[in-house]
Amino acid sequence: MYRYDAIDRAFVQDRTAEFAGQVVRRLAGEITEDQFKPLRLMNGLYLQLHAYMLRVSVPYGTLSSVQLKKLAHIARTYDKGYGHFTTRQNIQFHWIKLADTPAILGELAMVEMHALQTSGNCIRNITSDPRAGATAEEIDDPRVWSELIRQWSAIHPEFSFLPRKFKIAVTAAPQDRTAAKLHDIGLLLRRARDGSLGFEVIAGGGMGRTPYVGPTIREFLPAHHLLSYLEAILRVYNRHGRRDNIYKARIKILVAQLGAEEFARQVEAEWEAMDRPSVDAPDTELARIRGFFNPPGFAVLPPKSEVFEGAKADPAFARFVRNNVHAHKQPGYAIVDISLKAPGETPGDATADQMDAIADLAERFSLDEIRVTHEQNLVLPHVRLDDVPAVFATLKAIGLSTPNINLVSDIIACPGLDYCALANARAIPVAQDIATRFADPERAELIGELKIKISGCINACGHHHVGHIGILGVDKKGEEFYQFTLGGSAAEDAEVGKILGPGLPANRVGDAVETLVDVYLRERKDGERFLDTYRRTGLTPFKEAVYAEAH
Amino acid sequence: MKALTANTLREGEVVFWNKGAWKLRFGEAELFEDDAVAEAAALAAVNPTQIVEPYLIDVEAAEDGFAPVAFRERVRALGPQNHPQHGKQAEGGHDIEVIQHAHGVARSAGRHNLIKLKK
Repeated sequence: MYRYDAIDRAFVQDRTAEFAGQVVRRLAGEITEDQFKPLRLMNGLYLQLHAYMLRVSVPYGTLSSVQLKKLAHIARTYDKGYGHFTTRQNIQFHWIKLADTPAILGELAMVEMHALQTSGNCIRNITSDPRAGATAEEIDDPRVWSELIRQWSAIHPEFSFLPRKFKIAVTAAPQDRTAAKLHDIGLLLRRARDGSLGFEVIAGGGMGRTPYVGPTIREFLPAHHLLSYLEAILRVYNRHGRRDNIYKARIKILVAQLGAEEFARQVEAEWEAMDRPSVDAPDTELARIRGFFNPPGFAVLPPKSEVFEGAKADPAFARFVRNNVHAHKQPGYAIVDISLKAPGETPGDATADQMDAIADLAERFSLDEIRVTHEQNLVLPHVRLDDVPAVFATLKAIGLSTPNINLVSDIIACPGLDYCALANARAIPVAQDIATRFADPERAELIGELKIKISGCINACGHHHVGHIGILGVDKKGEEFYQFTLGGSAAEDAEVGKILGPGLPANRVGDAVETLVDVYLRERKDGERFLDTYRRTGLTPFKEAVYAEAH
Repeated sequence: MKALTANTLREGEVVFWNKGAWKLRFGEAELFEDDAVAEAAALAAVNPTQIVEPYLIDVEAAEDGFAPVAFRERVRALGPQNHPQHGKQAEGGHDIEVIQHAHGVARSAGRHNLIKLKK
């Protein structure tokens, strides 16, 4: 993992002290709410329905045990004993008091964390593959490049007041677990025929009110030019982005209006004209950063474990392995997904006790590392196969052994109208109802991969546009209605879903999902996922079934 | 009918205005029959070191009491559905039950009527 140096440490401590002073002045009435609001947002502090919400940055979704224990401590001491992991690999606390915030930021700084750039029109937390450094699929470690971008973008003076927020994802595996094509910039690591490293650069993707799958604007950018090329993209956006209209201010609108080709031409022109060596990181700095991500002392183990294989005699363990345990690049190790989607629970929530227990597991069994996924789950990236049964037993004891990764009950849901000041409708109770209907793990496995994503408003924090089944909460004449989309994907085959038909009232949503699943099971051919069947049949059979029942 | 609501500056807690004081429960809110009186109260209630974002909400008679019209405001007056032990609903009481049973009057458009207060 990356560790702060003296400059990082001093900077975060300075910002914490600065915000503490701002809070004191606000509470004393020396600055107004209008003056204070942008300052608190720059420190990740929002005012929501019931309280303040503090969003803490988890750089590219990587946590150490000490950091997760600190988050548990914050949940227990300053919140109501839980935290909510988000679709940007961050964590947010929903019951924070303004007066406590400086103390919380001070506690975070002690473990090299902060809440900077988790709000506002700046470059937000860089997201990456939760299996980075653990999967054999990747051609390089995306965390190296994510950390480089993090350092470059942290309080970058030129890009602290962009037309709108800006999100960058980095991935290095063919299977995209970052939704890279739905980001303002998606960076896909590639290796050229001569072995050199580079990026396929995608720009102008995004969800929200106007969803776009981002086009590729450069097939292969030599890796050592990453920062200068990013700077060129940001400059073109900063210059031409629509500051006059918040709904048209994201880079996706600019790219769509100019066309990918013209946008790319302008970026290339900017890039050619700039002093690239002054921006690109020197090799020595890259090597320094890379040094933090060296393999973390793996043991030399046989590729097969008798303990692991023997434990599969327990059908519950075998099911957990089928769904939550994945191949590791190092023989004798596995990647273990921890689902935060137990049926009936709030997607992405973890209690302080659960966080402590997971941190203990990571310390004992996963070389001190935990990852957060954009699908609101956690990962123990480096578990010995021999230890997977013990990890499973502990997870079972703390209610986190649900074997449903990528299955119908592994639902993304934003906080929705239960918490969020922007929401039009609730998302969490909808997810809870659907997951409870599909709580039978055998049935869920028979259905196979099915990604349901729910947003409580058009801002799409719940990624509904790219759900195999997407559900969007809308306000229709004062009632909660839910609009379905089908066929979305956030993966390497990214696609924006198509609207199924008129919105449904809240009490029809669960039945409609069951109907959609029934149609899929009726129509599917061998080996087809829900998404494959939908792509083959189109909307019609699904639409007919849902609306036949609705009338 | 209107009520005046805000969040406290220090805690972010939902509060309701009643004759010169901010109360924690919707059941304690002063209900204004006259919009002009409500707007005057909103201007009088401004206290920048105590509360933030004061605004008026619509209230209607519900079964055996009153409830905010907007679904969003009912959520604020109760707490999140996924954690019944959190928020105002945790304390229970008649006014909470009235809101929990109120339905069919939702207007969840939110703070569309946020008052522009003079600085």
